[in-house]
Amino acid sequence: MSQAPSGAPSYGAPVLSVHDVRKGFDGAPVLHGIDLDVPAGQILALVGENGAGKSTLLNIVSGALQADGGVIALDGIVRHWAGPRDALQAGIALVHQELSIIRSLSVAENVLLGDYCAGPRGFVDRPAMRARARALLDEVGAHHVRPETRADRLSTADQQLVEIAKALTRDLRVLIMDEPTSSLTPHEAEALFVVMRRLAARGVCVLFISHRFDEVFRVADRIVVLRDGRLVGDRPAAGTTRDAAIADMTGRAFSFSRRVARPARREESVLSVRNLCDRHWLGPVDFDLRAGEILGVFGLVGAGRSELLELLGGLRQPGGGAVRLFDGGGLPATPAHAWARGVAILPEDRKAAGIAPNLSVHENMLLSWRRTAPGWINPARERGVVAPLMRRLAVRARGPAQLVRTLSGGNQQKAILGRCLAAAPRLLLLDEPTRGVDIGTKAEIYDHIAALANEGMAVIFASSELPEVLALATTVMVLARGQQRLCAPNEGLDEASVLSAAFSFEANGA
Amino acid sequence: MSDGESHPILRRAEATPGLLPALRQLLRERREATVAAMLVLVFVLLSFGSPFFLTERNLFNVARQLSVVAIVALGQALVIIAGGIDLSVGSVIGLSAVAAAMAANATNSPAVGIVAALAVGGLTGVVNGTLITRARINPFITTLGTLSVVRGAALLVTNGSPQRFDNWAAFLGGGRIANVPVQFILLVLLAALIWIFAVRTRWGRDVYAVGDNARAARLAGLDVKFTRTMVFTISGLLAGLGGLLLAGMLSNANPNLGLGYELDVIAAVILGGVALTGGRGSIGGVVIGAALMGLLRNAFVLLNVSGYWQTITIGLVVIVAVGADSFNRKAEED
Repeated sequence: MSQAPSGAPSYGAPVLSVHDVRKGFDGAPVLHGIDLDVPAGQILALVGENGAGKSTLLNIVSGALQADGGVIALDGIVRHWAGPRDALQAGIALVHQELSIIRSLSVAENVLLGDYCAGPRGFVDRPAMRARARALLDEVGAHHVRPETRADRLSTADQQLVEIAKALTRDLRVLIMDEPTSSLTPHEAEALFVVMRRLAARGVCVLFISHRFDEVFRVADRIVVLRDGRLVGDRPAAGTTRDAAIADMTGRAFSFSRRVARPARREESVLSVRNLCDRHWLGPVDFDLRAGEILGVFGLVGAGRSELLELLGGLRQPGGGAVRLFDGGGLPATPAHAWARGVAILPEDRKAAGIAPNLSVHENMLLSWRRTAPGWINPARERGVVAPLMRRLAVRARGPAQLVRTLSGGNQQKAILGRCLAAAPRLLLLDEPTRGVDIGTKAEIYDHIAALANEGMAVIFASSELPEVLALATTVMVLARGQQRLCAPNEGLDEASVLSAAFSFEANGA
Repeated sequence: MSDGESHPILRRAEATPGLLPALRQLLRERREATVAAMLVLVFVLLSFGSPFFLTERNLFNVARQLSVVAIVALGQALVIIAGGIDLSVGSVIGLSAVAAAMAANATNSPAVGIVAALAVGGLTGVVNGTLITRARINPFITTLGTLSVVRGAALLVTNGSPQRFDNWAAFLGGGRIANVPVQFILLVLLAALIWIFAVRTRWGRDVYAVGDNARAARLAGLDVKFTRTMVFTISGLLAGLGGLLLAGMLSNANPNLGLGYELDVIAAVILGGVALTGGRGSIGGVVIGAALMGLLRNAFVLLNVSGYWQTITIGLVVIVAVGADSFNRKAEED
């Protein structure tokens, strides 16, 4: 079952102990019994692919999620957190990827949130607050941040330091950071590492998630690898190579290894892209797509996957390059133009940009189809469009009148896929088509995409899940920090080579 | 593996077809149902409470009094369903009333007066919609601004004095056909028209989609700006008509006509079950909401209760009706 961690090293007495922690969402297990001991003063990097369970584990440790089983102990005493507050009281603080700073308050108010040095009559003692905030900010090396400044005037890096200073108001034992450097410049990241080392020297355990191997090796003492909810690698950072860590990450037994039938390639060109850039940092990107092909765009967080799809769907302004669509025209200027010309869009964030939650399945599926239908609604004709699509996609709903928000995530996604198909597009843009979808429905969605390609549709899908890309794509593109690192036929690619390309910005000293 | 197995709620629903959907349906439309029940209740109580209530004269008076609020509420409902709000309708009533009177008097042609009233309303709506969609000013602020500008314009052009309006166009507001107020006939026709627009045309359905999730609507290829501008234009047109009808009813166009009407109109819409957050609501419900407000007004007159109580009661009714709905919705989601 659980693979033995390769040469698990032994360290001193643990401050934080995680034993047999298990967790599932909607019946799908995400963590299968994690054991981990962290001694005082250790900096531990948690790495793994998307969906490996890293964030889930750290959320459980910090009280944001409840484990289904297993125990967490602090200083050898088993603890239960009812919520993040409890964990914080005990000295475990989590700094989120999206910072939870209150933008309209001052730095001092943020640092001392809920503890405003109030005097006996309940009045806030501002000088005392400023002094205390100053001391805490100094501890995290934020000497340049003034306590009086409004928080929203700070850079992301400084906001992060404020959050760490906030954690120090309690007796901090464990500091947890979820991708702390994802929005920092290399220089700011370096400053953060100094703070991490300083806290570790004081005996604080520092746990962080990272996708950037360069920083993992630079700052961490220990590298722990999760894969499919299991702890599969535990190595001291010194003496470990990047390739060894990548091998830990990818050494999976495929659950869906390239089982999808290869669609027959056709000759009609659907899309040809040359030197396409956006106005910021994406590109240049080059590729050709024919009818029946599936282009899988892979990359890490912030690689530019969504941005590329947004460019092609008319949601983002291009900064340069040449694009020829099947109708001879260039990029669509707006999503409305895209749909009108036969380009369908399935957005990444289903809740915010996909569904109309209080409308029915029927309405959601016909949203785009109605653009080309007469303005006067013919209910019989509409039912004739929806019913076959619900059957084909096996949308599990009581009927077309059910409100979309009451469906499961997978069925919501099918309804939006149905919206795309109703419009009979020639090019289908899918951004993370299986995000938040249970594994059974995932497989169904893969089958539908493959079938559509077989019928002659061209598909571009963006995904942060490598196995999915390799299982489904005929052509694989890898983006890293907006740069196209690879665009090659799927045949002959393996996980290691694709991951290597995705991480390749490090080699260029970026 | 299959979704049906991993979602017991769905399975349960499939096992008992009819019952759960019917229950949910009722819950979802509870606010309209509550208000309809209140309407019936007030109606029955008044029938017993006052001998004058069930007379033809009184009922038609009630119908006439609620017509303008209800007609303007039809447009407001579309605006709110699309996720906006139109505070300028009361002022548009005032300006379109004086515009109708002045245009009719100046040209000696009542038809020009009718056109002027509708043009003032429609134009204000277009301006509101344009400011909201192009200059991206929030609907509340935009229409709060036009509320003031339009009322000021009405006072400016008339120098604050009322205008005579006693030509044949006044028949629309003050006339009766077989004893039925023309206003009320217009309300019935317009309600049917707007209802059909909302449920049976693409543009009507787009209003719901835009209000429920504007970003999703844009990504699905809808012209969100057009839809928003359209609903504000319809709201403005109907408010312009409302001004014409009020002026006709009074044979006189006062620049302060319609002062504070926006609150009555919005209350009727909310009472009728339209969610302020957009995406949900029905035209039928709005008519019921306006009817309940009209009936309550009548009740205070007939029962000889102070008009101040009327104001308090209408506020309480809105709070209770909306409170009951959000309570139900929470219960549904738990």
